[in-house]
Amino acid sequence: MSRPQESTVLFDALGPRGRMRTRWASIISIIVLAAIAAFAVWKLAAESFFEQSRWINPLDALIVETTWIPDLLNTLTAFALGSVGALLLGVVVGFGRVSKNPVVRFLSMIYVQFFRAIPLLLLIWIPFTIDGAFGFTTDTLGFDVEGRRLTFLVVGLAVYNGAVLAEIMRSGINALPPGQAMAGYAVGLRHGQVMRIIVLPQAMRNMLPAVLAQLVILLKDTALGYVITYPELLHGAQNIGRDYAQSFLQALLIAAFIYFVLAYALSKVVVLVERRISRKTASSSKAVRHVEAVASE
Amino acid sequence: MFDNFDLMVAALWDGLFTTIWVTLASFAIALVIGAILAVMHVSPAPPARWAANAYTQTFRNVPLLAVLFILFFGFPKIGISAENWVWALVGLGTYTGAFVGETLRSGINSIPLGQAEAARSIGLTFGQSLSSVILPQAFRSVIAPIGTLLTALVKNSALVLAIGVPELSAQAQRLINDNRDRFDLWAVIIGVLISYLIVNLIISYFVRLAEKRAVFVR
Repeated sequence: MSRPQESTVLFDALGPRGRMRTRWASIISIIVLAAIAAFAVWKLAAESFFEQSRWINPLDALIVETTWIPDLLNTLTAFALGSVGALLLGVVVGFGRVSKNPVVRFLSMIYVQFFRAIPLLLLIWIPFTIDGAFGFTTDTLGFDVEGRRLTFLVVGLAVYNGAVLAEIMRSGINALPPGQAMAGYAVGLRHGQVMRIIVLPQAMRNMLPAVLAQLVILLKDTALGYVITYPELLHGAQNIGRDYAQSFLQALLIAAFIYFVLAYALSKVVVLVERRISRKTASSSKAVRHVEAVASE
Repeated sequence: MFDNFDLMVAALWDGLFTTIWVTLASFAIALVIGAILAVMHVSPAPPARWAANAYTQTFRNVPLLAVLFILFFGFPKIGISAENWVWALVGLGTYTGAFVGETLRSGINSIPLGQAEAARSIGLTFGQSLSSVILPQAFRSVIAPIGTLLTALVKNSALVLAIGVPELSAQAQRLINDNRDRFDLWAVIIGVLISYLIVNLIISYFVRLAEKRAVFVR
């Protein structure tokens, strides 16, 4: 009596005929998928996609040392700094969104709406390009060329993802049953204390999965450093492709694979965290019902 | 101020037009791919689910820019060539399709089990209950997330400037890079930012409208 899985609400445990039909459907779809894969492999082999030199050249020890490893580190640096910046901005603006002061609330709303509507690519590229055009340049801050690129990439990532994280913060705080805060006020806590002691610890747990999922997106977005020629993974792959024209596709696929491994590992952390914290917050329906019960007494 | 203002407006207008049709065309592709993926996700045959899962995981964990580069720079190396706008549509469509598939699947999963049970108990087949009971309800509950995907697609379409499609951001880049002294820098920047803001505001307005009209009581 094994039900296939939760996502399949459209059929329940199948009878013998249904099982037979499913088995045939499975076999046929495996054959179809295998045929597509075999055809692709055959086509690729005809274009000498699997030729050893095409894979070995971009993975040469020297290239690994001078391109892949430094570029991977550059990607991770941009990710780490961008995440820290985005989290800080997200917390500040997120608090602004639920602030008691209407001016602060309005300004944070404008910030979120504006930066969520603009392509991240422009948020990275425009400041980088017009730097110096209006009298002020970041050169006076003493960055070298690389540092300057990293700065603009990190600032763009932080500003954009900060807006997204602020929105996650707000919905995390709003998703908490109001009875939690009410109970805090009822025992005589002030607004700040209610936020600090009762609302935030629970809201944090609520939104942690969404925050981590956004960090996976931020990791992928570091590839946009390409538009300001920040030497990240994709940029490195392209340089390798220029030197070894025959291995261009292979170099890009290797870079894509590295991104995949990084992002997949990070998203597995998300799932783990989700599982660990799932039972620790006040469930909204129960708490709301409780408030209603109290109110009707 | 505002030297050659009409030239700038014409260039940005061209770019906006390209952005809009690239977005709409790749969104159509994404909806088709997403619908196929969603059906595969809930299908009784395990290999179909595995294939859909592999597709989704691939595109969720690889940057869009890497996908576009593999298509535009990589595929000609294995003998598959096309115009750059074709690769833009294919790249944006396949990438967004994975997210549409996930959204549709969660929409299907949000339909209470009782609906599917009721459909089957009156004798509807898998296909019938899907097409006349589950999907009509699922579509309504995914309007808002699909709208979010559309605004994300408008922003993502800026990336195709890297493969030489002259959309809005590419036009702004060209205006700023080539004509530093002829065009007022601020005018270009404000023009391009406002264009994106307006497009996204219009989309979210219509999404909200559609959401309101699709409200139903179960």
